[in-house]
Amino acid sequence: MSVEVEETVKKIIARILRKSDLDFSPTATFKDLEADSLDIVQILIAIEDAYDIEIQDEALEGVSNMGDFIDHIERRIAEKG
Amino acid sequence: MKIAVDGMGGDFAPEEIVKGAVAGAREYGVEIALVGPEERMRQELAGHDCSGTVIEVVNASQWLVEGEHPGFALRQKRDASIVVATKLVKVRKADAVISAGPTGGVVAAALVILGTLEGMSRPVVGGPFLGFAPNTIMMDLGSNVDCQPHQLLDFAIVGTVYARRMLGIKDPSVALLSIGAEEGKGNEQVRETYPLLQKCGLNFIGQVEGYDIASGRANVIICDGFVGNIVVKFGETLGKTIGRWLEDRIAGRLPESEVREIVADLVLATNAADARGGGPLWAVDGVACVSHGRSRAEEIARTIGQARLAVEQDLVGALKTELAAARRKLGMPDM
Repeated sequence: MSVEVEETVKKIIARILRKSDLDFSPTATFKDLEADSLDIVQILIAIEDAYDIEIQDEALEGVSNMGDFIDHIERRIAEKG
Repeated sequence: MKIAVDGMGGDFAPEEIVKGAVAGAREYGVEIALVGPEERMRQELAGHDCSGTVIEVVNASQWLVEGEHPGFALRQKRDASIVVATKLVKVRKADAVISAGPTGGVVAAALVILGTLEGMSRPVVGGPFLGFAPNTIMMDLGSNVDCQPHQLLDFAIVGTVYARRMLGIKDPSVALLSIGAEEGKGNEQVRETYPLLQKCGLNFIGQVEGYDIASGRANVIICDGFVGNIVVKFGETLGKTIGRWLEDRIAGRLPESEVREIVADLVLATNAADARGGGPLWAVDGVACVSHGRSRAEEIARTIGQARLAVEQDLVGALKTELAAARRKLGMPDM
């Protein structure tokens, strides 16, 4: 897992959830972080804009925690080239 | 002043939306940025007398559809009319945006593009909706269907500001809507919200039930958007249904014109929201007004009027100031 991507994603999520002390373990889920559906929309849009990528909703169905989520984002970044 | 109009939002878009935009431009003396597929917008405009108005067309190739998940729609339809219209406000090419599109999409667009005011986690729709109780507002009327207790507290603060600034009520009473008046009666959300409202320093008078909505017992009634939306739509339909019932019962006993007037008054008394047009989405950092999905041209024009009023009154600025003051008073941390 890239430290840079993890830090960027963590900052985005913390900003959108307005939580400066985010407990961001790889096993944490969006539910653990108390993010609702609108929060998740904002998070996804912010990440897509930050890396100029598209995150398909279907691909997120296999994502169960933050570790998986960041891995998926890194794959999308790598695919973009 | 320029108002951005989502030309493709609503059940009767674009025909009624464009008609309403032209009427609103003329009646309220505002410029309009009509947002939608350019060719279609121009076709609609060609059927109206636009003399004396300033209406520009801003192209948007997509639009939201009722039933789409708003989050999905916003991410997949970056060129949706509501997105483009809201961005005009963000970049200050318009002073306000109005839409009769799917509420979830309008709320999501406002949230993502304009953002909420500091300390507020969600936009909220609310206001007086019953002519019988003109000094009673309810929040939320549909923009948030699942709410946490701290969000209901936010609604109480916004509602208090609304009642104070828009209704001129010095110390608005605040109540929590539930299935019983006694503390502890209600679902988990109500039980967890009660102590927050009790300690927050607002004029919290406790819980009220459905009976109390029309009585004027409280100035600000707090509930989540799921309940609020059901209540307001029930009230609207009940008014129209009673109106038809009355027409049948008193037809022939009174002159027809009097019957029509009585029924019209009844419908207005139960549809105060329609009477004034759509209202602002509160706690958003910009003026975004939401109109009912079934809005016709008249309602669209009135919503344009509401948007103009919100800009003129600097409601966003006023709410920022009063939210900060309320939070200081409540001992809440500065955001």
